[in-house]
Amino acid sequence: MMLRSDSRQTLRVVLVSLVTLLLGGGVGVAEEEVPKHPSELVYGDLDFSIPRAEPLRHELDGGAVAYVVEDRALPLASISVFLRAGAFQEPADKVGLAAITGRLLRTGGTVSLTPEDFDDAIDFLAARVSVSMGETETRANLSCLSDVIDECLDHFFEMLSEPRFDADKLEIEKNNILESLKQRNDDAQSMASREWQWLLYGQDHFSSRLATSASLDAITRDDLMAFHRRHVGPRGAVFAVSGDVETDTIVAELERRLADWDSEAVAPAWPPEKPDHEPVPGIYLVDKDIPQGRVRIGHLLPQRESWEAKDELALDLMNSILGGSGFTSRITSRVRSDEGLAYSAGSFGYFGDHWDGEFDVVYQSKSETVIYAAKIALEEVDRIRSELVSTQELETAKAFLADTLPAQFESSSQVASLFARDEMLGRPHDYWYDYQERVSALTKEDVRRVAEKYLDPDKLVMLVVGDRDAVVAGDPDGRATLDEVLGGRTTDLPARDPLTLEVISK
Amino acid sequence: MSSRSARRVRRAAESSCAFTSSSGRIVALTLATLLLLLAGAGSLVASDGDSGGPGVQAETFTLDNGMKFLLVERPEMATVAAAWVAHVGSANERPGITGMAHLFEHMMFKGTRTIGTDDAERDLQIIDEQEAIQDQIRSIYRDLRAKARRGEIEDPYAAENRTPEMLELAKEFDALVEEQRDIMIKDQLDQIYTENGAAALNAFTTNDMTVYINMVPANKIELWFWLESDRLMNPVFREFYTERDVVHEERRMRTEATPTGEFDEQFDAMFWQSHPYSWPTIGWPSDLQVISKSQADEFYDLYYAPNNLTGILVGNFDSTEMKDLATRYFGRLERGDDPPDVVTLEMEQLAEKRMRAECDCQPQIQIRYHTPAFAHRDEYVLDVIADLLNGRTGRLHRAMVEGEEIASQASAFNNADKYAGSFTFTAEAKGEATPADLERVWGEVVDRLKNELVDERELQKVKNLFKADAYRRLESPFFMMFQLALYEGLGDWNYLNTLADRIDAVTAEDVQRVMNTYFEPSNRLVGHYFRKAGTEARPMPPELEALPPEVRTQVTQQLEQVRAIEDAAMLRQVLGQLEAAGGQVPEEMRPAMELLRKAASERLEELESNAAGEEEGS
Repeated sequence: MMLRSDSRQTLRVVLVSLVTLLLGGGVGVAEEEVPKHPSELVYGDLDFSIPRAEPLRHELDGGAVAYVVEDRALPLASISVFLRAGAFQEPADKVGLAAITGRLLRTGGTVSLTPEDFDDAIDFLAARVSVSMGETETRANLSCLSDVIDECLDHFFEMLSEPRFDADKLEIEKNNILESLKQRNDDAQSMASREWQWLLYGQDHFSSRLATSASLDAITRDDLMAFHRRHVGPRGAVFAVSGDVETDTIVAELERRLADWDSEAVAPAWPPEKPDHEPVPGIYLVDKDIPQGRVRIGHLLPQRESWEAKDELALDLMNSILGGSGFTSRITSRVRSDEGLAYSAGSFGYFGDHWDGEFDVVYQSKSETVIYAAKIALEEVDRIRSELVSTQELETAKAFLADTLPAQFESSSQVASLFARDEMLGRPHDYWYDYQERVSALTKEDVRRVAEKYLDPDKLVMLVVGDRDAVVAGDPDGRATLDEVLGGRTTDLPARDPLTLEVISK
Repeated sequence: MSSRSARRVRRAAESSCAFTSSSGRIVALTLATLLLLLAGAGSLVASDGDSGGPGVQAETFTLDNGMKFLLVERPEMATVAAAWVAHVGSANERPGITGMAHLFEHMMFKGTRTIGTDDAERDLQIIDEQEAIQDQIRSIYRDLRAKARRGEIEDPYAAENRTPEMLELAKEFDALVEEQRDIMIKDQLDQIYTENGAAALNAFTTNDMTVYINMVPANKIELWFWLESDRLMNPVFREFYTERDVVHEERRMRTEATPTGEFDEQFDAMFWQSHPYSWPTIGWPSDLQVISKSQADEFYDLYYAPNNLTGILVGNFDSTEMKDLATRYFGRLERGDDPPDVVTLEMEQLAEKRMRAECDCQPQIQIRYHTPAFAHRDEYVLDVIADLLNGRTGRLHRAMVEGEEIASQASAFNNADKYAGSFTFTAEAKGEATPADLERVWGEVVDRLKNELVDERELQKVKNLFKADAYRRLESPFFMMFQLALYEGLGDWNYLNTLADRIDAVTAEDVQRVMNTYFEPSNRLVGHYFRKAGTEARPMPPELEALPPEVRTQVTQQLEQVRAIEDAAMLRQVLGQLEAAGGQVPEEMRPAMELLRKAASERLEELESNAAGEEEGS
């Protein structure tokens, strides 16, 4: 049943088409018009081609770039700007400076408007404005009705170029963040992401550093002013513009405002520093009184060498079969569907953009079955490294990757953002143009090759946040014991004070 | 999208999905995240024919068997966002089968007579045999519940209380599961969709509806008609009991392993007195334990007839062709009896209710009022009130986050469900502030709205945002499909088109009247949440309690260190030192010493047995 003979299937298709033809495909409740099995359905071609980036790309005076996708369907315009600024530029004793600068850009007012007046103006215009400063990238967004776009752009650019960083608002934001720090140990999810980051990348890299009450305390308004002055400017800005705009007009409007932006920002030191940490394989446990263990099992993957390399898509394909695409993937199918051990179970794997990437199996299971589920997941990691995948698995995963591509280009704002992201990442636009062909060229051998090359069972690190003793006790029905997983080497990670992150033992 | 629909989406999505759809790198992309991302991504694809504001021109028709359809053509797309709504949710359940609507949603992914098996005959026989065994297990549970009532056992469902007979039955059952697996084609529904590039197979259940969604390449829409009509016509609930375990895990994930989940569930149960909204969509755990496949069959007969369903398509297609396909495929379903209505009305609340909770959470407050159902005329006014309160320029932010600086966040939301509504205020305390402080300032905010007319400009601001959001809501076709499904499930998809005008008509006097109608203490439930003392700590061994605090800290730190030692030789050394020092230790420190010794030997045992395991394994 799994493999139908090709000739028989063709015959059926022909017969069904013939029947449809004879009946004229008309309305009516005729049972025979419905094929007996969906494999007998015949489809027309999909009318879709990847939009080309080049005609949408505009180099602005002063070196910025804008991707503009016109779409007049609704009277809305959407403008995003990407800048190379973020936590990688903040000093180690002021962790949180970039994030707070991002928040205060939005909430701290401008030179001409108090924070309250700025918020009133934005809300009355019914605009939506946001700013976020991440690890290596800053993104600011504006969505507004197109008939007030000029006024909105004025506010948007003033916000970015002449922030007030109101001192009272800074105190309020800092105190709000302090409240969120207090909740660090409340949710297993936040504990797991913190410990996982540290296990894989160490605690010293800027992507691992976390704000503490002391680091927040050290951040002053002068720091924000200086950080903004030094790092936030129009140099190298990439815009994604879409909606009810006219390309020449919006390009000119952006250029005019960029020319007025009086910035002292310097070119960022690039590429950013990489983490220097060798993860130690084994099982790491964080004790928390919850009935379900939150689990991650994985290791580092290398930084990407090239977007064109065959391994990029082969890794996606391999992961899709292993645990990356829902019920059709092996880990989900066995852990959830066969055994009922988890609601959510799967895997992901990616090469890093600026430093190492990672491979991860992720699931949540009741304390008693954490180890049993791990055993199953690890069996699947071994299997995909040693055996070729089936033809059906390969074809399903390939079709999925190729056929869901159009969904990424469905809307004008998706197209503009995707191409702007290409520009920031250094991903060639060609990546998309021949994506489907490259996917279809992949083979079972490619899947095994990347699994063998990149997945290394000896390097696996496992983290469990949950009821420690119940987890290590293993399966009550005897289906798995601790020593069957990563050699059973366990390390208890200490509790940490949520505000200082120092080790505590109360 | 408006904060209101964002919240509705989030709430609906959180109410429980069949599974987390995933693609590429992000495995655990929940439905909620997916929808918020899509809504935020903002595609501009609607073409509204009429002048005078945004609107969705959906073509509607009803098949002879009563199944209704909504079609919205979006020729620019390469896909079709597709859904069908079953007008049944947890409000249609009764005590004993709570969680059924949601479990049923999961079962709809398990296949049909054609999809998911090699041998439909034997498959159905096996399911009958499995059911007979489960009936026997359920009758033993009946005895165990009686034992628990008499106090002879604690938990009738605990593993250790399984009787030998049950274990024997479980073995027989497992053998049938194995046999069934041999003729089963695992998750074939998902597999067929996936290999055809359909990216968003999922479903969710709320109080009022169950919605099955997907996104299909435009040229393959007939596949959706085939598979969806097939699973409505010929569903086979195979793997019923494994899926029940999955739902238990889902409950642990959403409710039990989150900081406030279990308290929020009890808050809901306390708020609704007579109405079935009082139980959680995911169901009470004891009901999940004994729910049967035959109850699921009954549920299907009652609620999954075509006259209780609405199909929704948004995307690139020709509507005439869709009508033909709908007739040909869904027209095969047989009309059923009209499903029973939910008749129990919520009793009028007579006195204020209060709850005091202690959890691993930030001190916070939740106050909820009874309000009218979906599309009641006051509901629009309550929407306006929520938006007067929300956002950076809203009254809550200005009074609590700024102003008195007693909250790190504060918000309100109006939730009008199909049969009844509620309005909720929540805030998290900041610094030394307490839930009582938040309650006091909330009272002041309410009083001002009751006593003073809102300023025209403030009201206009809210209306402007609603108007712009009415356009934003149309940006993403997938989100549009989602909203059509949601509003149709609540009672009327066309709500999407009338909302902006209804909001525009709200006056300052309406706001004052509605505030004075619903915002009374006797109409509310107040929940105060406090941080449980010492939440991150390991429970202190009783031997330590007598020690001075600084010694206690030192000893517990050393205990942690000992438990973390990886090297058996080092542990033996530590043990040796402890023994050697034993005689010199003052009497009052003996218990601490004994604790350390115990921890070290336990750890050593652990290391040694691990090493033995490794040898065996190699």
